[in-house]
Amino acid sequence: MDRDIVEQVLRDYGSLRRLDTDPELEAVRATILLEDVFEVVLSDAEIDPAVLADASAVAALVARLRGTA
Amino acid sequence: MCGVCGIVSYGGPPDLALLHRMMARLGHRGPDGNGYYRDRRAALGHTRLAIIDSSGGAQPLCNEDGTLWVTFNGEIFNYIELGEELRHRGHTFRTASDTEVIVHAWEEWGEECFSRFNGQWAIALWDSGAEQLVLSRDRLGVRPLFFTRLPKCLLFASEVKSIFAEPSVERAFDPAGLDQTFTYWSPVAPRTVFRGIEQLEPGHYAVLDRDGFRKAPYWRITFPDRGREPMQDAQENAEALRERVIEATRLRFLRSDVPVGAYLSGGLDSSVTAAVIARYTDAPLRTFSLRFSDSEFDEGQYQKKMSAMLGTQHQDIVVSPSDIAAVFPEVVRHTETPILRAAPAPLFLLSKLVRENGYKVVVTGEGADEVLAGYDLFREARVRLFWSRDPGSAKRTRAAELLYPWMARSPARIPAFARSFFGRHLDPGDPALSHRPRWDSTSVIKTMLTADLQDGIGRADAEDVVAAMPPGSEHWDPLSRGQWLEMTTLLAGYILASQGDRMLMANSVEGRFPFLDREVVDFANALPARHKLFGLEEKYLLKRAFADLVPDDIIHRPKQPYRAPDAASFFAADRPAWFDEVMSERAIAAAGVFEPSVVAGLLAKCRRTGGENMSNTDNMRVLAVVSTQLTHESFIAEGGRRTLEWVLPDPSVAVDLVTDDWSMT
Repeated sequence: MDRDIVEQVLRDYGSLRRLDTDPELEAVRATILLEDVFEVVLSDAEIDPAVLADASAVAALVARLRGTA
Repeated sequence: MCGVCGIVSYGGPPDLALLHRMMARLGHRGPDGNGYYRDRRAALGHTRLAIIDSSGGAQPLCNEDGTLWVTFNGEIFNYIELGEELRHRGHTFRTASDTEVIVHAWEEWGEECFSRFNGQWAIALWDSGAEQLVLSRDRLGVRPLFFTRLPKCLLFASEVKSIFAEPSVERAFDPAGLDQTFTYWSPVAPRTVFRGIEQLEPGHYAVLDRDGFRKAPYWRITFPDRGREPMQDAQENAEALRERVIEATRLRFLRSDVPVGAYLSGGLDSSVTAAVIARYTDAPLRTFSLRFSDSEFDEGQYQKKMSAMLGTQHQDIVVSPSDIAAVFPEVVRHTETPILRAAPAPLFLLSKLVRENGYKVVVTGEGADEVLAGYDLFREARVRLFWSRDPGSAKRTRAAELLYPWMARSPARIPAFARSFFGRHLDPGDPALSHRPRWDSTSVIKTMLTADLQDGIGRADAEDVVAAMPPGSEHWDPLSRGQWLEMTTLLAGYILASQGDRMLMANSVEGRFPFLDREVVDFANALPARHKLFGLEEKYLLKRAFADLVPDDIIHRPKQPYRAPDAASFFAADRPAWFDEVMSERAIAAAGVFEPSVVAGLLAKCRRTGGENMSNTDNMRVLAVVSTQLTHESFIAEGGRRTLEWVLPDPSVAVDLVTDDWSMT
């Protein structure tokens, strides 16, 4: 999966984020997407609302987990 | 849309009286006309719902020299383009109908013609010179086509009741067909619930000639390997999907010589098709909706909003549980198979409303949930996989709340629920991971079966749907495997049959389904799975493609599966007399499917609550028993309800080469 697709997915996810739900639940929702699309597995510590609400942090996390950082 | 039937005889000429009885049992499918053809080997029958070329499209229809005949149910939506191509290749047309295109397409391309058709069809072609019968069914099973192979002949028809016009056809349940029904919700083609009655698989054609009987696929449901999908850009794909859905909807709305209406359920799919018609055609649009007296099932506010926005002339029907009970025997006479939900009954009443308003064609949103991944079952599978990566994680367990928001009110229940729901039969390598929970909960019905039937199921050599998944499907995305299973089982066997064709044709109404257009399906199947189910966002690309045509609150409303009151329909004080008759201990024992004492226990439980607040499993069990009993009474029991035979008008095609009588008007 090339970098353009990674960026596109993160952009599209950003437009769907629900700001009115429990942040921890929203982090779970984001993790389901990331694990499915990028074939990575996040630890409980990484299912972190603070990280998953920040596009650059998510990009860095995905890159690290995919070994492309 | 029409009814087709026929006989290929291995001895003397086919029995014309039998053919007429077969046709008379299909009168509801084609009240506008009828016709037949017979020679010394074969007979074809047709009852017609006239939609395209009312004056010239009478059937059966033949080629120039009268050696190739066709009887056809359905529509070939690209018939104009195919006709032009065939004219360029030298074929001469006498009519403007799509039926004649089939004849010339077969002459030109043989069995390859089917892959060129974009439509919904059940076709029988008879080549009298080659003494060859060809049967064909559309890609996903929109139109039905049944047949039985007897020692003296082959009979085929749009509905089983037509085949049962031949007295020598055995009338008995097929244990394997019932087993499939009580697992997958319907038999899986080629099986039916009747012993010896087969249905042609969707996407297949069959040939009967001097070399015998054989079948082959002309199209298969297939998906690219995960990560090798050809189109990766979501915006480009949204635009391409939009183009295809618009074209598919326009074709289905405009290619008709009679006015076409549209169903409006209040959900996304029918809102998209109705909005496309309103935006991209000039014709006024008439919309029809189903409402429920019980607010739990009603979507009236969304229907009203959409029809007001589109400016359609709108009509609805409000259905109550007693309405469902009143028509249920008639519904099952049309489904010709047990059904595990009452949901077809309201659709029967809706098509009646359509017909009473003078319409005989409707466009609906059927198929979008399968093709573009709208069902909760797909979301559940994704959450189960997510949970399975660390079942001990408290954070992963919370995913249950994303599927079922009401769980947030009882957090203490979540871990136990997650273990029981997500963890049951959970093998991440299982190709049917998406469907095991449904199949597992449905199979509870089988604990009610008699020992004899359970033995019969054990002895039957039933097809294994999972084992039939295509080679290489292990490389597909898990969502694609779930879609394959859904299209192969529930879509063809229940959604398009018991809820679709049968409920529409019961009232002589043709359904047209843009989301099952060849171009839409082939395009959607090639998409990356994330463009269909984006995280847990179902039908993601469809929402993105039509965000400007459908209001936000319809696009973003939680998916509401179409449901109707089930057990509650049959336990009100005013329930009709038929219910106690078919559910009596004597009738249950006579049918031999369910253990009478177990049914008695279930009925007692329902009576205590009036059928209200039953579990999903108990609702299914009640519907399974009621509909199986009605199926038995209608089609198997001695002295059961008689199948209605229509008094057909004089035929517009009457060709009998055995007596040398010809008449074509």
